[in-house]
Parts: sequence; structure tokens; C-alpha cells
Amino acid sequence: MAQPIIITQSGHYHYQQTEPSDLLIYVLCLSSADIDIEVEQTVPNAQVDIRALAYISNKDCARIHTHVRHLASKGTSHQTVKFVLNDEATGEFFGDLNIAHGAQQIDAQQTNRNILLSDNAQMRTRPQLVIYADDVKASHGASTGQLDETALFYMQQRGIGVETAKQMLLKAFVQDVLPLTLDGVVEHLQQRLLELGLTEEV
Amino acid sequence: MKLLEIKNLHASIAGKEILKGINLTINAGEVHAIMGPNGAGKSTISAVLTGHPAYTVTEGQVLLNGKDLLAMPAEQRAREGVFLSFQYPVEIPGVSMTNFLRTAVNEKRQYEGKEPLKATEFLRLMREKKQLLEMAEKLDNRAVNEGFSGGEKKKNEIFQMAMLEPCLSILDETDSGLDIDALRIVASGVNKLKTPNNASIVITHYQRLLDYIVPDFVHVLADGQIVKTGDKSLALELEEKGYEWLNQ
Repeated sequence: MAQPIIITQSGHYHYQQTEPSDLLIYVLCLSSADIDIEVEQTVPNAQVDIRALAYISNKDCARIHTHVRHLASKGTSHQTVKFVLNDEATGEFFGDLNIAHGAQQIDAQQTNRNILLSDNAQMRTRPQLVIYADDVKASHGASTGQLDETALFYMQQRGIGVETAKQMLLKAFVQDVLPLTLDGVVEHLQQRLLELGLTEEV
Repeated sequence: MKLLEIKNLHASIAGKEILKGINLTINAGEVHAIMGPNGAGKSTISAVLTGHPAYTVTEGQVLLNGKDLLAMPAEQRAREGVFLSFQYPVEIPGVSMTNFLRTAVNEKRQYEGKEPLKATEFLRLMREKKQLLEMAEKLDNRAVNEGFSGGEKKKNEIFQMAMLEPCLSILDETDSGLDIDALRIVASGVNKLKTPNNASIVITHYQRLLDYIVPDFVHVLADGQIVKTGDKSLALELEEKGYEWLNQ
């Protein structure tokens, strides 16, 4: 696996896979940001994996847009995008997936899951799949909700305080998208993760 | 010694009254069975005693070792020694059994003013309890209840009970969905954990479980009230005659 790309700041990021390569992209937003990622696969057997987490509070607004274009056959794209929104924060995910005419045997998966920690937080999500080939696997799913109340009660019934229980559930929610000890995550982001209780001091 | 005193307990959910004046005293060392038809309020008793947020207590009092149980948040009731074996144990993806139980055990220890268990001490305790219950399952590295079979979930509840050493355990329909082998293992676990200092409430629809966990008292709940109390023979009588018999 090639060295992952780590995106933590606003911008338009464009990648073209012109050889059968593996591309791994991590996105981490801990305050307002506007991130636009474009991936184009122009040769067969290219793979891209996008794993994004936005965890924001106050009146921050995080936008993550992905555009994945499969122009050749046998390509793979897996996207997992998660938002955790507190206070009056707003999140936006736009997932644009395009499988071109003749790009057969594509495996494309897009998952967007969001947790609202406050009644005033807002999430907008818009998956958009445009498929011109007929022999492909493409799936997408989006869900937005609160922390699982039945899980919280179960944990409290075992003596776990409600704040600790919430922290454990949030950590579980985010850690399958990002390895939280990721090398290259800049220092102030590590510090924020530590404050949020999502990572431990190394 | 009085462990639990329920006095004239009334409770409702979404404005509908379910419990209509429950009176029940449980002493240390006793096993009480609560039986009754569907909708009688059996599971509501466990929900109210453990502090489930959906239920409102409208009248009455519950004392645990003389302390006002209803004034405590759910986690404090658990730390005071109330344990519920859930009818439907909850799956928690991404939280390992080890992390979950270690947090639970240590939060209880902290509440009692004890030092938290170190990792090695904790693992030793887990091994001991597993041996005691003769559970072969390797649950430690799996997420809490995730992908567990029905039997594994119920065994896991009893395992958690062994780890937390409650003074009052409530087994809510623990027999539902269990085959006879799993039922035996679960029941023998409950029996092994019995001491003169703790007590259990066994909520069940059927008499079958009570062949394995023998109650000192059997209470019949109907329409939110205890309508009859007897010894274990009452359970057999109910099995034979059905609940309709009580209305005659």
C-alpha cells in the first residue's frame, strides 16, 4: 500500500490514477473547512479508498465533497465519510460517483454516517450515483442520528457514567474510519483529538 | 436483612399507567420469581428499578439497603449493586468486551473508594469468573454482543453479572430464546453466584426456568399489581391451569 495522503485543510484536491495503483486518502476536519476531492481512474485495476471524518462544534461548518470518476474497467472505490456535529455545527457531504460508459466490473461503495450531538446541529447529505455501465457493483448508504440510546442505557446499567459511555460510543464511531494515531496528522489536530477524548497521549 | 423494599410503586410510560401499586420486600439470600401474562408489567418492574429513562414513577418508594433507589441515576443504581440481565442484550459495535467490562468494574470500584484494577489483575479476574461459570466462549476481543448468538448473549449477561458481583440481580426473561443446554449453563451460573448476601428477581413467563433456578417465592403479576404470592408450587399450578384461572 502506498503512503496515505492526509488532508486536513480546505482546498480542491485532484488525483488522477494513470496506472493500476492503490490510493489511500484520509480526511480529518476538526473545524470549519471546505474540502473538495476529485479522483479519476483512467486505467483498469486502480483502487481508491477515501476515509473522512469531520468532528466539529460551535457554529463551524464542514463541507466534504467527493467526485470519483471511473473511466476504465475493474476499478474499485470505497468511501467512508463520517460527521460528528455538536452545538450549532453544520455538516455537508456531497458524494458524486460517476461510472463511465464501458467501465465494467467496477466495485464502488459509498457510506456516509453522521451523529448529531445537539438538537441544533445540522447535516446535509447528498449521494449522487451516475452509472453508464451495466456490469458494476455500486452501493451507497447514508444515515444521520443521535448516539444509540439503548446502548447508552445498557452501559449505564453496568455502572458506566453517562459521559464516559458517550465518549466510548463516539470513539467507536470514529475509529473505524481513521486510525487515530495516524502518522502525519499535524500536531494541533492530535491535540484536538486528545481534548475530545478520541485518542490517548502517546 | 431487608435488601429491597418496594412500597406502593406506580409507574407509567408515555402517560399510560403500567404499575398500579406494587408492594414487595426482598431479603438477602432470597430468590423471588415474578410471573404473569404478557402485558402485566413484568418488564416494567425491571425497567423502573434500573432507572430506564422512558418510565416515570408517579407514586411510591423503593429502598435498596435503606437508600432511596429512585433518586439515583441509572449508573449509580448499578454501582450500588443492581444488575439487570437484559431480555434483549444490546450490541455495541466498536467497543470491545474487555474495554467495556473493565470500565464498568473500575467505575464501580471508584464509587466504592477502591483502587482501579490493573490490566493484569483484571484479566485474571475475567479468567476466574469464566472458569467458575464453565464458559468456554472467547468473548474478550469481540465487540459487546456483536454477532453473538442468542445463547451467547444470555451467557454473556451472566458473565457480566459474575464480574460485577451485584447484591440484587434481575433476570428479565433470561430463558427466552434459549435452548435447553444454554438454559442449564445460564441457570447453573446464576446458582453459583448465589450467596447469603445477595438476592435475585427472576422474571419469567414460563415455569421451565424455575426448575433450574428454584425460587423461595413466586409472585403473580396481573394488570400492574401482585395478585397472588406463594412458594414454588404456585409456579407449577400456573403452568397447569394458565393465568386465566386467577381471574375466576
